[in-house]
Amino acid sequence: MSLAELPLHAFERPASLAEACATLSRRAGKGEETVLVAGGTDWIVSQRLAPLSLGGELPLVLDVSRVPELLGVKIAGERAVIGAAATYLEVRHHAVLTRRVPMLTAMARDVGAVQIQARGTLGGNLATASPAADGSAALMALDADVVLASVLGERRVPIGQWFTGYRRTARAADEILVRVEFTLPKSGAHQLWRKVGTRAAQSISKVALAAVGEYERGRCVRVGLGMGSVAPVTVALPTVRALAVSPGPLAVPDDQLDAAVQRDIAPIDDVRSTAAYRAHVASTLVRGFFRTLRPVSNAG
Amino acid sequence: MNVRFVLNGRPAAVDAPPSSRLLDVLRGALGLTGTKEGCGEGECGSCTVLLDGAPVNACLVLFGQVEGRAVTTVEGLGDPEHLSPLQEAFVKEGGAQCGICTPGFLVSAEALLAAIPQPGETDIREALAGNLCRCTGYQRIVEAVRAAAKERTSREPG
Repeated sequence: MSLAELPLHAFERPASLAEACATLSRRAGKGEETVLVAGGTDWIVSQRLAPLSLGGELPLVLDVSRVPELLGVKIAGERAVIGAAATYLEVRHHAVLTRRVPMLTAMARDVGAVQIQARGTLGGNLATASPAADGSAALMALDADVVLASVLGERRVPIGQWFTGYRRTARAADEILVRVEFTLPKSGAHQLWRKVGTRAAQSISKVALAAVGEYERGRCVRVGLGMGSVAPVTVALPTVRALAVSPGPLAVPDDQLDAAVQRDIAPIDDVRSTAAYRAHVASTLVRGFFRTLRPVSNAG
Repeated sequence: MNVRFVLNGRPAAVDAPPSSRLLDVLRGALGLTGTKEGCGEGECGSCTVLLDGAPVNACLVLFGQVEGRAVTTVEGLGDPEHLSPLQEAFVKEGGAQCGICTPGFLVSAEALLAAIPQPGETDIREALAGNLCRCTGYQRIVEAVRAAAKERTSREPG
């Protein structure tokens, strides 16, 4: 076999969600493995790095990139619904998302380069569950719901319960990720997307922070955070979130904020960065976001 | 599996394994070797082709996924006797040196000019950020795209 050739997997392109669910159910029942591929930007690369499956049957490749139920971005009232196979490019250019969730569209613009944005999907980002996934960090800050389907119907998983370990998720073998949903941030919310990497395009994050701070009558009522590349899974920074609401961003001294950040993360040394650098950058990014939450113009 | 799609503006039907990479089918079964393989993992952009008008890395598309879709390779932009304005500009401005990355740059730039006929420097650099060149230092490539944009505009009537 030439190294230029992938192993020859069986390949199917289901025409509908029902067909995809039926195939998954049938195969899972027999213990047969199925790989769901949309943009392929992760799976195809992983095949190239380890192209030979030693022994056993190759999994069936199910192309879900055009299953109608997985497509498009819809806004229903104050809810955003993003199909699992909608691409970063669609998210990036969506008018309502650009206006209401600039943090999310900035993330979509920072992922890879346009060739990756035209193929990669938020569903794939959630399903492959890389701790460095930018899309997962942004969806964590939005406290999104992940919606799965199987022959038994739909199941909704809050993103806080989605990641069950390094590259592991709550999805069962007979389920397919259909869409993600979240409530649009209140108007006037402070939003931040910061990705720290080696260059502006095509880099995997050393640390990434997605953040939303919502206010009601001048009071911070909710802070949503998602941080990537600082733990085996995308983290929600719960201790930091709690401090933002009580005692509130104005009242938290920097050293207490730093301690909360360090409590919520578990960075390591790897090929892209060091634990020490990541810990430093994580604190710096969170401090930077908290400064935007402090109403400086009213303070003095 | 016989996969039907539109290749460089013409209907095509190719019998090839659906789980092969689009890149290998283009270069192998179809003999369209203008599309180059660089890294084979979506980093370098040498294999950029248009899929329904959007630039994608042909090394990261499974052949079965192009069923019913339109694929444009560098061969679809022009030929040696009839260079596209972009190809002419790359020649004139010195946008190609060793040439291995050039087809990918041309295809990415074609998509840019289709979306933004008069791109600014930032637009050009962002649109080409997924294409790596180890020879030119990029400046001549950016200038070639700018020159092509100008040329296209001046050719348009009115």
